[in-house]
Amino acid sequence: MSAALRTGIAGLFAGKPAPTGTAKPVGAGLPAKVPALLALLLLFISPLAMAFTLDDLQKQLSEPAVVSGPFIQEKHLRALPQPLTSKGRFVLARDHGLLWLLQSPLRQDYRIDAQGIARRDLSGWQTLPARSAGAEQNRLFFAVLQGDSSGLQRDFELALSGDAAHWQLRLTPRSLLLKQVFTRIDITGGRYVERIELSETQGDSTVLRMPESRGASALSDAERSDFAD
Amino acid sequence: MPTERLLPRLFAGLLLIMLAAAGWQWHRGAPLSADLMTLVPGATQDPLVKQAEQRMQEPLNRELLVLVGHSQREQAVALAQHLAGQWQASGLFEKVQWSLQTDLQTLRSQLLQGRVAMLSTHDRQLLAEQPDTFVEQRLQSLFDPFAGFSLVASQDDWLGLTGRIQQSQPKPVNVQLDTASGALVAEADGQQWVLLRARTQGNAFDMHLPLQVADLLARARDDASQQGARLLAASGLLHAAAGQQQASREITWVGGGATVGILLLLLLAFRRWRVLLAFVPVLVGMLFGSVVCVALFGQMHVMTLVLGSSLIGVAVDYPLHYLSKSWSLHPWRSWPAVRLTLPGLSLSLATSCIGYLALAFTPFPALTQIAAFSAAGLVGAYLSAVCLLPALLGGVELRPARWPLRVAQWLTELRAGLLRRVPSAALLALLVLFCAAGLWRLDSRNDVRQWVGSPPHLLEEAQAVARITGYQPTSQFYLVRGADPQQLLERLAALSEKLDELVDLGKLKGYMSLDRLVASSAEQARTLQALDRLPGHWQPLLAQGVPETALLAELKQLHQLPIQSIDDVLAGPLGEAWRPLWLGQVDQGVAAIVSLQGLNDTALLRLQSEGLPGVQLVDRLGELNQLFAATQVSAAELKLLSCALILVLLVLPFGLRGALRIVALPLLAALCSLALLGWLGQPLTLFSLFGLLLVTAIGVDYAILMHERVGGEAVSLLGTLLAALTTWLSFGLLALSSTPAVSNFGLAVSLGLAMSFILAPWAASREGAHS
Repeated sequence: MSAALRTGIAGLFAGKPAPTGTAKPVGAGLPAKVPALLALLLLFISPLAMAFTLDDLQKQLSEPAVVSGPFIQEKHLRALPQPLTSKGRFVLARDHGLLWLLQSPLRQDYRIDAQGIARRDLSGWQTLPARSAGAEQNRLFFAVLQGDSSGLQRDFELALSGDAAHWQLRLTPRSLLLKQVFTRIDITGGRYVERIELSETQGDSTVLRMPESRGASALSDAERSDFAD
Repeated sequence: MPTERLLPRLFAGLLLIMLAAAGWQWHRGAPLSADLMTLVPGATQDPLVKQAEQRMQEPLNRELLVLVGHSQREQAVALAQHLAGQWQASGLFEKVQWSLQTDLQTLRSQLLQGRVAMLSTHDRQLLAEQPDTFVEQRLQSLFDPFAGFSLVASQDDWLGLTGRIQQSQPKPVNVQLDTASGALVAEADGQQWVLLRARTQGNAFDMHLPLQVADLLARARDDASQQGARLLAASGLLHAAAGQQQASREITWVGGGATVGILLLLLLAFRRWRVLLAFVPVLVGMLFGSVVCVALFGQMHVMTLVLGSSLIGVAVDYPLHYLSKSWSLHPWRSWPAVRLTLPGLSLSLATSCIGYLALAFTPFPALTQIAAFSAAGLVGAYLSAVCLLPALLGGVELRPARWPLRVAQWLTELRAGLLRRVPSAALLALLVLFCAAGLWRLDSRNDVRQWVGSPPHLLEEAQAVARITGYQPTSQFYLVRGADPQQLLERLAALSEKLDELVDLGKLKGYMSLDRLVASSAEQARTLQALDRLPGHWQPLLAQGVPETALLAELKQLHQLPIQSIDDVLAGPLGEAWRPLWLGQVDQGVAAIVSLQGLNDTALLRLQSEGLPGVQLVDRLGELNQLFAATQVSAAELKLLSCALILVLLVLPFGLRGALRIVALPLLAALCSLALLGWLGQPLTLFSLFGLLLVTAIGVDYAILMHERVGGEAVSLLGTLLAALTTWLSFGLLALSSTPAVSNFGLAVSLGLAMSFILAPWAASREGAHS
């Protein structure tokens, strides 16, 4: 996630500091959207972990090669009495990446892997240009995926409580920048991640539930082909 | 003799005045400049173009961009932070920035305020032409976990306009934000590079600042390498510092080398300590040159000093003229010797001044300065040689060493021997053949880069910085004018459309134009009309539970947003990068710059913007290079003109035949030196041509000496030899300069002078030779 966060925020940063030069696309510096957060959280959690330690959690979450199951995403917006709810299925493969298959209210498949974030249309997977800012970010992203939690720890304070069967992890942003976007991120689970809640400073929040995740030692053929092309 | 007592006093008075003037000029610091742009011709008279050029140049001369590289990101960030603190405390910088701590609140409010005005061309089209797709995309983004979090909460922007604006802002190429620290980081070559940007208080043309900045950077490099990190830096300031260091190094070599050589020669030849006083005219010449130069131009460029230091060798010729008479005058006394050589000295001054002043009529401010410096310096040297030095050498009776005369005699006999076997006409024919073959091989090359002797390591670093950050600014840009902001934005949009074609073709990496940031007021009105049609298409949003009242309220709110002007948008945080592009109100309307990146074909740019009203491509570098080539012709004309002037001057004392002969020799010498450049494989540059202008003027001097033959052929040859040696010494040292322009100049002059010396004996008329 931290990778994703970076991707998004950096992508948003409209400019960069201009090198010595005349016109610089600097300027805008600011995070525009923090993307991919939820999915990233999933990814990231796997490697993360604390006494019941982060290490233990990390080990526990990264054990299965593949985790899959349904998800329910609720966007709680202050102005709406009912949350915007969407449902679908996800497949998190330790060695490949993440498939995020949104099924209702609209159908849309997403994939995060070494190539970046892609969206599927009629002609196949389309890597999203806006976030394909650099292979670097994806490399970083996979470093996180493989258990390098240092990136995450720099961005967030991590507080883990509970035991292996019922744990809660709270992420509180450290940097001024992230503090202006999130108040905190709460993650709870047992053997797998079960619930992620993201609270934004603007008052909205997103809850992502993954109530029936299952581990597997390998991808199914269909899943493999989704990752393949 | 009253004049002989009066002259030194009068001159002492003049000297005091000049010293006082110099003191006044220098009392508030050295009036020196290192600004390269003051040296090259002002290609444009248009004040607006000038203003735009300054705007584009300014960051080059005030900003320092540093990449702090380490294999560990944390280390790189920590080091950048440490450096930033140190530099901020140094007092040299107005601002040192290593992290972005953006205030998101002001950003949110600008996005909300600019929802109509800042919507991109593409999004405006989509909204107007495919409102269903527009709504569908909005719905998708509400559920897309990867679309991310918009800065503006959904209920403040149900239609998702702010998200679209965020997405359409220019993206950094290779740089990403390190969210933990706010640092901007690029990854390349297995290193994490943290960007550090510093803006100095003064600019690169302040004489001290560049050196201080270069110093600070050098220390930072040492620190960094101790911690296993690397620094890469790019800035006009570093080039300025390198240029200054190089200039002072070269002034020391050329000035010091020539001085030591000349003093040694004086001592060896004349064997009297007091003869070292012959160096006084040189010092006086330098004084006069600098005072006049600063008085005329307000300051002196370091390049003038470098080239001007060659004056040492020319100025010392005046005292040498009469000192060398000590081989024939027995006993030698200063005043009689001066009286004897005065006509020759005066002629020599006149011809040299004509040569130098011819440089002043080239369109190059650099050469105008050098011309003024040198002409004034020569007048000073002449006056002190004629008025002051004889008094200083009053009691001295010179008994010079005999060996120089023996050398001269040997040379004379050598020549006579040669002429007995081969007649002059045959020699001339050979020489012409030699010249023709040399000229055949000569190729000419002109590039403004010859003016800058930038060390390769600076260029390599700048290229590395450009590669790592992906940011490649170009010196070309567009200047676009319009009667009012509406027309300006329309013209900018027309240009952007053309530039997009180049970007799609990969001929241009990117550009920044204000029309990509803010829509014209007419476009803003059209956007509102398109938004008003949305209620017919937003059913899918309602179906997902978005209340229609909220949507209607938002539409109403959008209508109430004030029309945003260019200034309004630029004032906000999103406008920061675009501000330098806006020139605002100008004489007849408004104007803006369009900056370009990663360009590889200027001709294409010209083609693309052809026929667009109000659009002007500014390509200073290209214009300069063209100007260089065009100036070659005028340099040749000037050369002929100066020869004609010298000829007229010489007709009086020597008659037409004598004058022609005297002028023809240095011309032939110049031709030979051109041929020599060809034989040596050296290119002919504008500077070699300028150098040859001087060769004529100085070479005439040798011809006159040999023509007059006061004291016999050998003595005259010796005088010429001494004069040539000193002059050759100082110009020869210039040829070692690492600035191509300076070294070309030095090489051309030294070759020309050597040839002038060799040819000078032919200046003697045939009758003279037989007598």
